[in-house]
Amino acid sequence: MRPPRRRRVVAGLLLAPVLTGCFASNGETSDGKSADGSRLRVALAFPPAENFSPYGADATLLSRLGVTEGLTKLDANGVAAPALAESWTRENDRNWLFTLREATFQDGTDVTPATVAAALTEATEAEPVTAALSGIELTAKAKDDRQVRVTTEDPDPALPLRLTSPGLAILSAKAYGGKRVNPVGTATGPFEVTKVTGTTAATLDRFDGYWGGRAQASGIDAKFIADGSARTNALRTDQVDMAEAVPVSQAPTLDKGARRETATTRTTSLLLNTRTGAFKDPKLRAAAREAVDGSVLAKDVYEGYADAGVGIFGPAVTWAAGKRVEPTGRARAADADGTSITIATYDNRPELPEVAQVLQQQLQKAGFEVKLEVREYSRLESDALAGKFDAIVGARNSLLDTGDPVSIMASDFTCDGSYNLALLCDKKVDQAVAAAAKESDTVKRQQAAMNAEAAILGTDATVPLVHQKIITGVADSVQGVILDPYERTLVGTGTRR
Amino acid sequence: MAAALVVAAATAAAVCARTLWLGAHRRLDDRRGGGSLAAMLAALPEFLTASVLAVVVGVHLGWLPALGWYGPQWMVLPALALGLPAGALLGRMLDDLLPGAFAEPWALAAAARGIPGRATARQAVRRCIPGLLPNLGLFVVGLTGGAVTVEQIFDIPGLGRTTLQAAIAQDLPVLQAGTLALVLLAAVTGALARLAARLLIGPALRDGALHSLHRPKPPVPRRTPLLYGTLLLAVVALGLTRDPLALDTGARLRSPSWAHPLGTDALGRDLLARIGHGAFTTLALAVTISAAALLAGLLLGLLPRFSGPLVDTVNAIPPVLAGLLVAGVAGSGAATPALAVAAVAWVPLAAHTTALLEQERATTHITATKGLGADNTYLLRRELLPAVLPPVARHALLRLPGVALALTALGFLGLGAQPPDPEWGLLLAENQPYAERAPWAVLAPATALALLGALAVTAAGGVRWPRSPFADGARQPKPAVAATVGETG
Repeated sequence: MRPPRRRRVVAGLLLAPVLTGCFASNGETSDGKSADGSRLRVALAFPPAENFSPYGADATLLSRLGVTEGLTKLDANGVAAPALAESWTRENDRNWLFTLREATFQDGTDVTPATVAAALTEATEAEPVTAALSGIELTAKAKDDRQVRVTTEDPDPALPLRLTSPGLAILSAKAYGGKRVNPVGTATGPFEVTKVTGTTAATLDRFDGYWGGRAQASGIDAKFIADGSARTNALRTDQVDMAEAVPVSQAPTLDKGARRETATTRTTSLLLNTRTGAFKDPKLRAAAREAVDGSVLAKDVYEGYADAGVGIFGPAVTWAAGKRVEPTGRARAADADGTSITIATYDNRPELPEVAQVLQQQLQKAGFEVKLEVREYSRLESDALAGKFDAIVGARNSLLDTGDPVSIMASDFTCDGSYNLALLCDKKVDQAVAAAAKESDTVKRQQAAMNAEAAILGTDATVPLVHQKIITGVADSVQGVILDPYERTLVGTGTRR
Repeated sequence: MAAALVVAAATAAAVCARTLWLGAHRRLDDRRGGGSLAAMLAALPEFLTASVLAVVVGVHLGWLPALGWYGPQWMVLPALALGLPAGALLGRMLDDLLPGAFAEPWALAAAARGIPGRATARQAVRRCIPGLLPNLGLFVVGLTGGAVTVEQIFDIPGLGRTTLQAAIAQDLPVLQAGTLALVLLAAVTGALARLAARLLIGPALRDGALHSLHRPKPPVPRRTPLLYGTLLLAVVALGLTRDPLALDTGARLRSPSWAHPLGTDALGRDLLARIGHGAFTTLALAVTISAAALLAGLLLGLLPRFSGPLVDTVNAIPPVLAGLLVAGVAGSGAATPALAVAAVAWVPLAAHTTALLEQERATTHITATKGLGADNTYLLRRELLPAVLPPVARHALLRLPGVALALTALGFLGLGAQPPDPEWGLLLAENQPYAERAPWAVLAPATALALLGALAVTAAGGVRWPRSPFADGARQPKPAVAATVGETG
């Protein structure tokens, strides 16, 4: 986020003729198949936006490609599992002791408590702070030659979950030397970045010293193709082996075997502005909730690649279904009576404008007058947070940032929340979320989270529409792709072709 | 870029081949019709051509790579997508000037001396090119900065896309560098175009020894606009009787049938209805903006010293970037998209005006009129404007579909038409992802736009009503002699 400006201007100028006149270099660095395992060609949807800084959106890119790791990782049940930390214990409310495994960084240095503590400290000082640490004060200190003590300002029972965040990846000391954090050759994962070609491609080689064993693919050629059809075409013309996030509109053009669908923790919802405008009135919110039918969206707009909305956490959050609580205290729906509202949405996810148009019709049938506003996401966010729209249709991966169900509710639905698009400030919700945040026992915490979810749904500030399935295009020759409901990993040690 | 130029040149050549051939054989008087195909081609949105080419040639036939940018064979498809419409536009403009060149005395003399038609044709093209050069220059810059959608579809790391992304992410260093590069390119191209024009007709300009490139006679009114008009009207009228907003997600992407003569879109809406209702939004705005752009282009084009640098600078800014700028200055009001598009739409027209004006000023008949004591106002009103206005107006008409598309391109900034408005550009953009599964969903609005383009261009020559086929003939002035002296028809 703090680019060395002058250098980038110069780079931009130098790049200009290259971009206008000449060709990009072809990412293929080694000759296809060799006895040592062949390279994987991967098309990713989101180009790096911040020079692969581990603290922003690019963090997920790095973890998806198997470059970075944190102390812990999320397992399939949404529970923290060992990664760089072999085990951990909670010393008291605020102190945690993590025992590191024997591992080496990609630059050859050992993973020591001191480097881990330094890496975590760097993350706390990042500007702006990485999402997993927003609102959290954290200090990390080396204890002895194998252990790191992490101390939080306030009790944080979800700390191991929090440390699964791609934004809290551990890099070697060398990464923090420059003006920006550099993950090239300084991470601990099975693959290391060797070359980055602007925002169009990246070359990765296998890191032979990976603690979890040698990867089967000898490297990865990653391309960043933002356009969904172009990404799909890349797979169809055999230019890549895997294409991430195939848009629903393109899915039928792929062979059935090439389409892998995974239920994700991404929920598309209609967020109603509870602070200003028509939806300040809970009765109208209830009317909107009753008017909206997510199953139509799942079936027709998402063509079956989604499940109808059941709550903030969908079927991909495996533990949620059994613990769901019926929302209480919902207002009784009033007659919309021609109330005019504006629904905003963004077109970066191609299905959202279609969803909004279907919602428009559903709400119109219920008596609302609906105007739509579709923009590019970055041009929408500030107006949305300022409460300029009556409702927003958004897709949010509920467990991407921290893996902790409570922290997403805290950021999205409490008075102090940093990403509170519904502008909700409700005492009951705040209490329920605070109660859940205190629970340390996994099962109890999950139950408390579901209670908080019920409290939030009770306000009708959010209407869950669908829980998206992500479609990954995978060529026949590829095996061992990791289809992660949390969208954090894609390539692992077992992925090969 | 070079490849796109080649394609554009080839397209332009194909467009005016007929006129050239007829002209070379001194049979231009037989010329009728023509031009509507070029106008249709010019109206085709680049992104549509691009996605069709990528899917058909790239994916299904596998002849050429469908995306990437690694070597010559990767250039072909993007070059085609960019070059076809641009070439059609340039070709149409050239085609507009050629008859005038063939009517000049030298051509007559050449024919009398038995100089081969090929040579005459070559010279005629050479005679007309200076009028087009500024627009060729604009096209080169536009190709670099404005081809964002094509870059997206073929995943080309282009300057336009980089700059736009930087603008959206508010990444100032990259944005500054990108814009600076574009402005520099525009300046260099502009200078080159001027230099080339000077080389081609410099001495003649200096000596005021040119002849006016007027058509020997006004274009023959034709019946074709009636055909296009009726077709378009029929579609609109039929569409108006249906509901453009009625969603039926169950009837998603249905192919054309009796219930939905043009099929349905991704939300099961009737396309015929959407095209019919969208006609008004699209036409009203596009025509208004085109008219404003024509006016601004003419006025500024008359002041080349003032507008020259302005043309070079404004042209360096892709329309979407202009949209961002205007939104930054004026806020995102209702007029913002129109302002943004109008802010760039006048540029090619001004360049065209300036180029034609420069030549017209250097003609012998202006010298003669001056000699007879005409003052500047008279010259402008009676000689210069009548000479410049018709081709520039035809040019503006030719760009009408482009204006409609530029308006749509602003949609993603939250400016421009918003769904579920059935604006034509928006229809195209919405249905583009489904182009392969439901070709009719993009073909229908694209055809409507192409029809509009063809209608605009053919109608510029007047309409011959079927009832009185010869009514207009009598009013035509005597051809050849009058034209060589340069009287306006």
